[in-house]
Amino acid sequence: MAKVTREMVENSGVNVDQLVELLVKNAAAELTTYYYYTLLRFNLIGLEGEGIKEIAETARIEDRNHFEAIVPRIYELGGKLPDDMKVFHDMSACPPASLPEDPTDVMAILKVLVEAERCAVRGYTHICNLTAGKDHRTYDLAQAILNEEIEHESWFSEFLGEGPSGHFLRRGETSPFVSKFLK
Amino acid sequence: MRTFTRKELAQYNGKNGTPAFIAYNGKVYDVSSSFLWQNGNHQVLHNAGVDLTDSLERAPHGADMLERFPVVGTLQKNK
Repeated sequence: MAKVTREMVENSGVNVDQLVELLVKNAAAELTTYYYYTLLRFNLIGLEGEGIKEIAETARIEDRNHFEAIVPRIYELGGKLPDDMKVFHDMSACPPASLPEDPTDVMAILKVLVEAERCAVRGYTHICNLTAGKDHRTYDLAQAILNEEIEHESWFSEFLGEGPSGHFLRRGETSPFVSKFLK
Repeated sequence: MRTFTRKELAQYNGKNGTPAFIAYNGKVYDVSSSFLWQNGNHQVLHNAGVDLTDSLERAPHGADMLERFPVVGTLQKNK
């Protein structure tokens, strides 16, 4: 634990125990989403599915990166991950992004993907709101992740016909916002 | 439809197997089925069994989220 780091955050008025619990829940959401997106991506096949597979894969890899980026902050603040993987899964800040009943229904898969991203956007907005001007490092981290989650949402939203995403696919790189936390 | 006092609502806090009810704008919703309301707690900061009208104003989502859940009653004003 980084004692002075924790003390500074506490002194700013943030309830650090609550913040750590939120970070653990969001770390769980990232890792479980990585797992569920693996299943979703494998089922994005055929003329409709293949076109979406690449962004699903990018979102999957970036969600794993988010997990990797969050965990050090949890330990810096004196928290830890649960010993039991099942406990970790069940405490996720977002519901499981499970395969739809009909795994050949590409629109149903897209709805699962966009709902997962929307949950993440809400979650990191919440953390940004709690830490803005108080816990600068967690804010910076949550904001970086939020930037990527917003892009994921907009990609999937575009495929659902909700309007242009305003973004292109990644060009060979992943996590343009979060990568600074992974070095 | 049942009318809840705040004291009655507090009994439905989602702990120890009880249902998780929350109030918003005078309506009482059963959120027990939600993954995000396990054990009567939502995103660390919010507990079931209370009126969350004020909290929802500051939430990163709108009241439309509650439309997914059944209304089980109304909340009595000031009781």
